Amino acid sequence: MAGSRSQRRLLTLVLVVAALVWLLPIVWMVSLALQPNDLLARTTSNVAWGLIPWPFTLDNLTYVLSQGMTPRWFLNSAIVAVSMTLLVLALSSMAGYAFARIPFPGRRLLYPLVLAGLVIPEQAVFIPLYTMFADWGWHNGYAALVAPRLAVPIGVFLMTQFFRGIPDYIEEAATLDGAGRWTVFTRIMLPLSVPAMVTLAILTFLYAWNDYLWPLVSASRPEMFTITLGLASLQSNFADSEGLGRVMASGVLASLPVVLLFLLFQRQVVRGIAMGSGK
Amino acid sequence: MAIPARPAPDPAVGAIGTSRTGARRRLGQRGWRDAVAGWLFVAPFLAAYLLFLITPFLRGIWISLHDWNLLAVAINPDAARFVGVRNYTRMLWGDGIVWTLDHQWGMRLAGLVAIALIAWWWHRGVIGRGTALAAIGAGLLLFGLLLGLNPADDGRWGDRRFWPIVGNTLTFVALTVPSVTLLGLALALGLNRDDRTSAVLRTAFFLSQVLSVTVVTLIWQLTFSPRQGMLGHAARSLGLDPIQWITNVDLAMPAIVIATVWWSLGFAMILFLAGLQEIPAERYEAARLDGAGLWSIIRFITLPALSRTTTLVIVLQIILHFQVFGQSHLITRGGPNDATQVLVRYIYQTGFRNSELGYASALAVVLFLFMLVFAMLQLRVSRGDD
Repeated sequence: MAGSRSQRRLLTLVLVVAALVWLLPIVWMVSLALQPNDLLARTTSNVAWGLIPWPFTLDNLTYVLSQGMTPRWFLNSAIVAVSMTLLVLALSSMAGYAFARIPFPGRRLLYPLVLAGLVIPEQAVFIPLYTMFADWGWHNGYAALVAPRLAVPIGVFLMTQFFRGIPDYIEEAATLDGAGRWTVFTRIMLPLSVPAMVTLAILTFLYAWNDYLWPLVSASRPEMFTITLGLASLQSNFADSEGLGRVMASGVLASLPVVLLFLLFQRQVVRGIAMGSGK
Repeated sequence: MAIPARPAPDPAVGAIGTSRTGARRRLGQRGWRDAVAGWLFVAPFLAAYLLFLITPFLRGIWISLHDWNLLAVAINPDAARFVGVRNYTRMLWGDGIVWTLDHQWGMRLAGLVAIALIAWWWHRGVIGRGTALAAIGAGLLLFGLLLGLNPADDGRWGDRRFWPIVGNTLTFVALTVPSVTLLGLALALGLNRDDRTSAVLRTAFFLSQVLSVTVVTLIWQLTFSPRQGMLGHAARSLGLDPIQWITNVDLAMPAIVIATVWWSLGFAMILFLAGLQEIPAERYEAARLDGAGLWSIIRFITLPALSRTTTLVIVLQIILHFQVFGQSHLITRGGPNDATQVLVRYIYQTGFRNSELGYASALAVVLFLFMLVFAMLQLRVSRGDD
């Protein structure tokens, strides 16, 4: 973009300062997690409004990693997020392959009907889902936390779009060699679709890890809380919680996987958001 | 976090499908196998889709036609009583509702001015005929008719809380969406460069977006605390009294808006950056050769080229923020005095605290209808036929 060199320097300076201010709340959370609980009970602004962790301690982190409910919640989140991601990948890639590449009767009617499901938000179905899962005795189990997301057609849309972009001749060559649909799908199409699957996997994992409303409705026993839900239960009673430093340490722990995932796969996250938004 | 798209069907598909149908008639054996294979490949997803999305959706409509107490039905499945549309009339109507010209006249006058503005844009060709007519029709319905309805002196609404809560939700959207859009656009314009610094800054601004709502509320609940929060510390060091954000009726809504803007700015920035990438470099070159300054380039080249992206960002955010729940539930608990009570939290509480699943389902159906309008809008924008 146009602009003189000094203008550009000034703009960069303004943006750097803005970014630092933007990150302050996160820095603050990390800093509070690294200060002793008894100090935080007295003051949260020991050095520089509490932004510098002094006196420094790892007690809160070691506590939430080893005791209390946080390790269990972390494990629950990992189980839910990983199994949801794998299942969404399997279901979406199979359906996407069929919609994009197999001329089966009914698909031109079925595909728009499946995509129509995108207009139904989670918030519009969580009450009937609650009653259904209650009838089946599913609540406070992993299946109840994973299942609703498997029905969301966004993954099918992304995979169908992707498979449509693969040139016909690749598949035709394999078919002429006598390979069946399943072989073509697993041996040729899936390896080709790794970039799209990585994008879908990351978006699904982020969603699973961060989802709040449905776990709040479905998981009522603390042993079945996800870390996102557990963190909510900690902050709803600050007063009689295990101490501010420990709550903040749980917050840091809850953020760690998604932040690392984002830092490692920024490009896929950004592309996924752009694709998923119809751009 | 990411918002599901309401994508446009690909027009090319139909053509390919047709030619393949022709091919299948010649290859009967292969057509058969394709039919079996296709349905088998789709079956696992289709089962989940029917079981966990379509069934609950239809069942939600069914429940909304009942007086359905969560606890009573859990004990005795026959305890649900069919009441027809009574849940809906309770929500939307009341006793002795009348239409008066002067009810909420200030807001209605402002609405009519907005309608006139849209008509003027249409006249000037800024927006298309379809958009203009839809907006004018919706505006006249809302400001001309609906906002004039109110209970007469001896009347009352069936649910006194419903319309104020819809109003709160719309206020939240009206404060959040323009803030995020303008800030996201400004950041995208400033950071649309290929150097290392810009890449790092983009990451910094996007980082808060990947946090869960409960981490965001954990941070901001404490930040807003007058005694323990950073804002309080800052105010005291300037010799000011800390602001009581959460407990003040007028400041609670701005507080959750601030937290939300901090949380979701990255999303708008990313979409604007994607839009900026699509502007061909030659256009900038030509303008620069003509001696255009930075501001005129932004005004006459960048912003017009971003008009579709801007509309998309706005519509997607309306859809996202209309469903706000966690911020209100955890930072302000809907208060003080219902000032930050929003629609999804009202549904949640009606269903799971008051056990009124029938009424909560009716609320959810109305929420769905609101969202459907915006989803249709997004579909139009994504298709680009605006």
